[in-house]
Amino acid sequence: MSSSKRFALSSVLCAFLASTALYAEFDAGFYAPERAGSIRQTLPHAAGSAASYEVGAYPLYPVNLSPGDGQSEVASYCNTCHSPRYITMQPPLPADVWAAEVNKMVKSHGASIPDDATQKIIQYLQFHYTPETRKK
Amino acid sequence: MTNPERALSRRRFLKTLGAGSSALGLAGILGGLDAMAQEPSAPRSFPDFIGPSANPYWNSIGPFITEPQKAPLILMADRPVQLETPRHYFLSAFTPNEAFYVRWHLETLPNSVDLKEWRLHVEGNVGSPLTLSLPDLLSRFKPVSIAAVNQCSGNSRSRLQPRVPGAQWGNGAMGNALWTGAQLREILDAAKVKTGSVQVQFEGLDRGKGPEGYGSNRFMKSLDLNDPILEECIVAYSMNGEPLPMLNGFPVRLVVPGYFATYWVKCLSWIRVLDKPDDNFWTKSAYRIPDTPGGTTTPEDAKTGKVKTIPIAKMPVRSFLISPDGTGKIPAGLPLRLRGIAFSGYGGIKKVEVSADRGANWLDAHLGEDLGPYSFRTWELAWTPKRPGKYELQVRATDEKGHTQPDEPVWNPGGYLWNRIERQEITVGSAA
Repeated sequence: MSSSKRFALSSVLCAFLASTALYAEFDAGFYAPERAGSIRQTLPHAAGSAASYEVGAYPLYPVNLSPGDGQSEVASYCNTCHSPRYITMQPPLPADVWAAEVNKMVKSHGASIPDDATQKIIQYLQFHYTPETRKK
Repeated sequence: MTNPERALSRRRFLKTLGAGSSALGLAGILGGLDAMAQEPSAPRSFPDFIGPSANPYWNSIGPFITEPQKAPLILMADRPVQLETPRHYFLSAFTPNEAFYVRWHLETLPNSVDLKEWRLHVEGNVGSPLTLSLPDLLSRFKPVSIAAVNQCSGNSRSRLQPRVPGAQWGNGAMGNALWTGAQLREILDAAKVKTGSVQVQFEGLDRGKGPEGYGSNRFMKSLDLNDPILEECIVAYSMNGEPLPMLNGFPVRLVVPGYFATYWVKCLSWIRVLDKPDDNFWTKSAYRIPDTPGGTTTPEDAKTGKVKTIPIAKMPVRSFLISPDGTGKIPAGLPLRLRGIAFSGYGGIKKVEVSADRGANWLDAHLGEDLGPYSFRTWELAWTPKRPGKYELQVRATDEKGHTQPDEPVWNPGGYLWNRIERQEITVGSAA
């Protein structure tokens, strides 16, 4: 049955002329549970009139790295300069691209990571974040 | 309760009502509301990641989050902060400050600036080094305003195939603002640039945790002193008539009209005139593009290491369809206003065209107000989808220099310069 033709009728007249025939035309009232407040409103900044302009802290939004061998090396070394979201925001990358990225951090950016930890970090990323291995 | 159960109980409820209940008015209202619904389903959200295929969505897929002075934006990264502007903000020529995208390189970025202490230092190979307070900038130099697009070099990086590492932006790492400030040329003249100078270097307040001498410690960019763009640069203290948000570079940032945002140094505090080329990582080694037409190459050629590269500079012409955005179904025969924006780093927009038949025929869009050669130019086009089905709308712009958007994908290892003709699929349903 075509519900659209009768919608105009239903919205204008149904308050007075309700009948069961109309109800079957429509489908509504479905909701799914969702947690409210995942984005909280922020209060206006309580600022004085001095020359200091501050905005407070920048919030951290934690992300769960895949658990596994090498995760603690990632946490201790990579986390120095950037949060782990720099890893999870990447698409699945081939193993050689991950190796090049970590080596770039050491060679071009001077990250002081011991050689064995560098290898563990590369293996960790290859184990969890390639097109073949990435799950979430 | 599952959906079928719920549906059953609803019908039963209505039947009961309908069978002679006096609450018929309520039932009628429920019936009217019913017409708004389609399939009963839980809200759907983006997956945690997309790849190795290209991101097919207009924006990147991160969640909405809040940051100081910002409306909810799309989270790329929290430290250092990278936030993308949602699509609908681009319906207007100017991007609101609170929605303007954010991209920092180094994690120690300012949370506060004390203007009693803060100074803009002009130093290096100059006859009269300057130390300028904000009141100095406001009073000693003529204020000028320019509408200019600020776009991240890696905007739309998530389109590339194969994917490349970096911030996985959709199309929202861009914004247009009316920037007001002092002309860089006037400041340089006041500092008396010495002969033999070759570049001018810019540095802000941000610092990194990496060791000294590395790009992970300090972010600096330089422009050639003989680059004509210097005549158009301003040191901006106002953005859309407001102070700059801290995340966009309070108290002042460099504006380099037409150039990618990597040069638009935020929280600008040092202007250094150099007598030899800048060899710091960010100027010398980073943000380089293949010296090829359109800056494009192949993974195979890039691997050989033989592709000559040059520093990224001007933004190639781009255009976007902003509405309709494909999130809803459109009834056949309903007259639509297709709306969007276009811009080019090479000058103004001459033409925007739309195709509804996969590029076979192109219709000229009506251009909105001309706000200057470096601004977003809005466009719109009246269009009515005649029949139900899937339509692929394409949009392409041509700038005043005659550059038009390519229909071939762009690829380079940095994920820069993407400006392929945009496509948006929309679904048109039967209207009766």
